[in-house]
Amino acid sequence: MSNPPNGEALSRLLVQVAKGDEHAFAELYRCASAHLFGVCLRMLRDRGEAEEVLQDAWTTAWRRAASFDASKASAITWLVALTRNKAIDRLRQRRERPMDDPSMLDFLVDPEPTPAADAQASQDYQRLHACLEQLEPRQRRSVREAFFSGATYNDLAVRCQVPLGTMKSWIRRSLMQLRTCLDA
Amino acid sequence: MNTTTDDAPSDLRYAEYVLGVLDADARAAVEREVIASDAVALTVALWQRRLLPLVDEIAASEPPAYVWERIRDQLGLAAVPARTPPAVVRPGLWENLRFWHWLALGASAVAVACLVLLMLPSRSVAPLPSAAYLASAITQDNGQVGWTATMDLAQGHMVVVPAKPHAIATGRAPELWLIPPGGRPIAVGMIATGAPTTLTLDRSLLARLGPAAVLAVSLEPPGGSPTGQPTGPVIAKGAIGASPPASGKPVALWHVSPAARDHV
Repeated sequence: MSNPPNGEALSRLLVQVAKGDEHAFAELYRCASAHLFGVCLRMLRDRGEAEEVLQDAWTTAWRRAASFDASKASAITWLVALTRNKAIDRLRQRRERPMDDPSMLDFLVDPEPTPAADAQASQDYQRLHACLEQLEPRQRRSVREAFFSGATYNDLAVRCQVPLGTMKSWIRRSLMQLRTCLDA
Repeated sequence: MNTTTDDAPSDLRYAEYVLGVLDADARAAVEREVIASDAVALTVALWQRRLLPLVDEIAASEPPAYVWERIRDQLGLAAVPARTPPAVVRPGLWENLRFWHWLALGASAVAVACLVLLMLPSRSVAPLPSAAYLASAITQDNGQVGWTATMDLAQGHMVVVPAKPHAIATGRAPELWLIPPGGRPIAVGMIATGAPTTLTLDRSLLARLGPAAVLAVSLEPPGGSPTGQPTGPVIAKGAIGASPPASGKPVALWHVSPAARDHV
């Protein structure tokens, strides 16, 4: 399996995109779109919608590239954040659709982590993974389910069959614990 | 665990926003704050840096080539030439996609050429079954070719290559039908929107292929129509034409593939 270019190369491309460089945009798309499409597919569970959200994310990336600040985030983090936000917005729009199809649930299945995209991401990922491991198992699963499904507190509580207040406190406690662990 | 209570609740909201558990209204409120306040933007960016590495667990998946074309169209960008990507960029997959894209374009050209030939008086009455290959540009309501189909009569199979299919609604899947003149549609098989599909043509299907028959794509439940007849809307259809007579097989199509394969 080959690796996408490193984070610095992506950041340079994104800075070029902010100047309206269409070739840099095409290059950035080639390097990062498979990564982002994976995120869309995972969250939306629907190819058609995933394609639409991916398209929306990239057109927004082109228009908003000037707001990218390399000192605050890596290009891939910026792109992933933008894409996830679009995917979550889409999930909120389809609120009326049933979300409790058991085949859609990951809650009991911890998917095999795939190798990290590059050395830097791998390091960040390993730190995060180590910190997640320190959480109480049910809380860890709730955080993971929340992250990968983009579900609201309400939906998570229903899926996990716990009171809303319990779900909120699990996740809030986990987030604070993660911050302490990651910032240490 | 003892950090639960003494943290500023506001920071927690930004963490919840990044994690993705807030409802639409709460998300919108955070997004307004991000725009209004650099401090909030920084807090959110910090949470993104903490949590987003988790996406490394998600397997990458190449989007269909038409997504890029739609992005380009939407932004009104010039057709950026398909530069050879640097070696680090998954050469296999990328070249593969380009390969299929060109294959689709080639097949469209062949299909269009066939239709032109069919309109010529001498051609329109010529018997088709002598041709080794048939082709069809399965065209959508907007006039764009959604798929191209090439039928190999000798081998008894059909390759359906997506060109620019529309996005398919949730819970629906495209199914291909052969409609003989004056007859009921016959199911050929489910087809993909992001990759070529190869379908087997049995004898009864082969016997019905001809210039008067039509290929059509309808939207069905993912496993296919439960009734054996189309139950959803027809989203694309195409006439069936012979391949160019001079060579007896679709020149453009097979001309492209060996060269493209070298890159794979």
